[in-house]
Amino acid sequence: MHEPPWGGLRKSRLHGECEDDGAQMTGPAQLTVDAGPATARVTKAGGGAPLVYLHGPFGHRGWPAFLDRLSESFTVYAPVHPGFDETVGIESIDDILDLTLYHVDLLDGLRLERPHLAGHHFGAMIAAEIAAINPHRVDRLVLASPAGLWLDDAPGVDYFATPAEELRALLFSDPDSHVASSAMPEPADEEEREEQSIERSRALSTVAKFLWPIPDKGLAKRLRRIRSRTLVTVAEGDPVVPPEYGEAFADAIPDCRLSTLGGAGHLYPLERPDEFARLIAQFLRS
Amino acid sequence: MNISWFHLMPYRLLPDDFEKRYRSVWVDVPSHLFDPREAHHLYNEFLDELEYADQAGFDGICVNEHHNNAYGIMPSPNLMAAMLARRTSNAALIVLGNSLALYNPPIRVAEEFAMLDVASGGRLVAGFPVGTSMDTNFAYGQNPATLRKKYYEAHDLVIRAWTEPEPFAFNGKHTQIRYVNIWPRPLQDPHPPVWIPGGGSVETWEWTSRMDYVYCYLSYSGYKHGTRVMNGFWNEMEKLGVDDNPYRAGFLQLVAVSETDERAEEEYGPHVDYFYKKNLHVYEGFADAPGYRTLKTMRKGVKSQVGSSASRKRQGLTWKEYVEEGYVIAGSPKTVVENLRRAAEGLRVGQLMVLLQIGSMPKDLTIKNTRLFAEQVMPHVHDMWDEYEDRWWPKPIDDRAPVASLPADGA
Repeated sequence: MHEPPWGGLRKSRLHGECEDDGAQMTGPAQLTVDAGPATARVTKAGGGAPLVYLHGPFGHRGWPAFLDRLSESFTVYAPVHPGFDETVGIESIDDILDLTLYHVDLLDGLRLERPHLAGHHFGAMIAAEIAAINPHRVDRLVLASPAGLWLDDAPGVDYFATPAEELRALLFSDPDSHVASSAMPEPADEEEREEQSIERSRALSTVAKFLWPIPDKGLAKRLRRIRSRTLVTVAEGDPVVPPEYGEAFADAIPDCRLSTLGGAGHLYPLERPDEFARLIAQFLRS
Repeated sequence: MNISWFHLMPYRLLPDDFEKRYRSVWVDVPSHLFDPREAHHLYNEFLDELEYADQAGFDGICVNEHHNNAYGIMPSPNLMAAMLARRTSNAALIVLGNSLALYNPPIRVAEEFAMLDVASGGRLVAGFPVGTSMDTNFAYGQNPATLRKKYYEAHDLVIRAWTEPEPFAFNGKHTQIRYVNIWPRPLQDPHPPVWIPGGGSVETWEWTSRMDYVYCYLSYSGYKHGTRVMNGFWNEMEKLGVDDNPYRAGFLQLVAVSETDERAEEEYGPHVDYFYKKNLHVYEGFADAPGYRTLKTMRKGVKSQVGSSASRKRQGLTWKEYVEEGYVIAGSPKTVVENLRRAAEGLRVGQLMVLLQIGSMPKDLTIKNTRLFAEQVMPHVHDMWDEYEDRWWPKPIDDRAPVASLPADGA
């Protein structure tokens, strides 16, 4: 199993229920949660109102700084999508409905009645689906550069057809930064290149299962059902989810605020962690 | 050994600077580069060439399926095979093949192949490739995460449709049909031989042997580079306890025959260059959609035949290297016979397919290549593997209908 690069983990296994030892949690802990068709690996940290964060196709590994910031004010739950890393269970999750219900099972497994939900890209699309299909289950909703709609005039770059060596330049506003090179390191040798390519294929084929070849899978019809107060964020310089999608989501969701980050690329949650965490925290507290 | 004449039907009128101006010959090659008036002649010449191969005594003629593609302008090989069924009389019609997951419902393939088999008097070989990532995922929008499952399910449906004598219901994950009941059913009993073109994945080898089908490696890299894949195949067969009958295996080889080795270079050099530099100029991003190759295959280090790493390997190759590395078997009939025997021996293939129209080769040169091969090469390699039984070749009926001539007065 992949070990995240931080120490002092508390590991526990939950069988359809969440442990509650009454203590205020601080450092991140790894949980394993049975959730219907798949078993979820969830990182939990912090204290306060529960906030579930669903990651996107890229750069999900480790414990990113913005989640650490958020864990100062919230109890953050960050599951790994089935199909990513070494997780199993994706074989029996066939379509958007399966995927949404799996996440509802996951909330049940974590014993979260009505948490805040946040997500990036693929994860944001799932968050929106949960809130649309099960509107009473979600407190507030944060959709960061969400996937799930299609605009003919702003298709975005086809990241499924972007060669591995061009991904960093596609996803980061500064591909040479420390953040970019530690999230997507240059392979040291051929073997590492192979490993990375297998990892990328595993992650992206999971996303492809639900978003190929065009991400419009009916969410547009369902967004009107969302009852949660919603924040949509997009980045001005994001070639994957061009800023036009911000308007499209904001127009379709009944109670929605839109925030556009100037000069940012697709992975602004990693590149601008303080700003992103502050935006979310302010919105959730407002 | 069976020797079959394979046509890719490449578009040979790409601009000289094509590979500099465009990123890919496949998927997003703009169709304004396609000149339909010119292509009218191309299609008819290509069919002439295939018909000539039948007359010249080749055992089979092969067509295949590609989409959004200037190296093979044959999105529907069944149309080509249908035209050939009436204008050829002896050669097996080898359709390599129909990418099953692209047909909705896949019984369309069962029907069309059955039509071809009946109309040709039982000359059909039914090829079922998964299809390349470029064709299936990018050009036809199929999901790379589910493509293979859909393919296997479609295969099961087609075989049942061919073999079950009564209507039945099919409750698949990708196809549901309450009444499966095809008319016509195929002429060959229980169905035409099935050949599976593949790119070297272990799962395909296992499955092919379990189904007792022919495995075909349609390589562009020639017999020397192809040895690795075919060795892997035969090792796997041994591991599975399957016999080593060479007719289980097919291989595609580029061949160029002339009077002398020197003339071969002169005549065919530019066309081979066109083939590798232009026809196989495929954008890396289209070579391999995420999930198209299984993790098991990726771990085996099986690489795509196209994309930047494959192109890099071929970068700057000269005629001498194309020949030395076995990409092309070329030269005088004597040279070609020697190398072809060595190739078939080394790869252990009984179903040899040869590509005699390469890249931009015009019809007269293709006919010359075909004639020299048929007259001066084929007789010296045909006897290979005679001691083995070929259970994977079509069994046409004897009393096949002749193509009647039209009454002169139109009555």
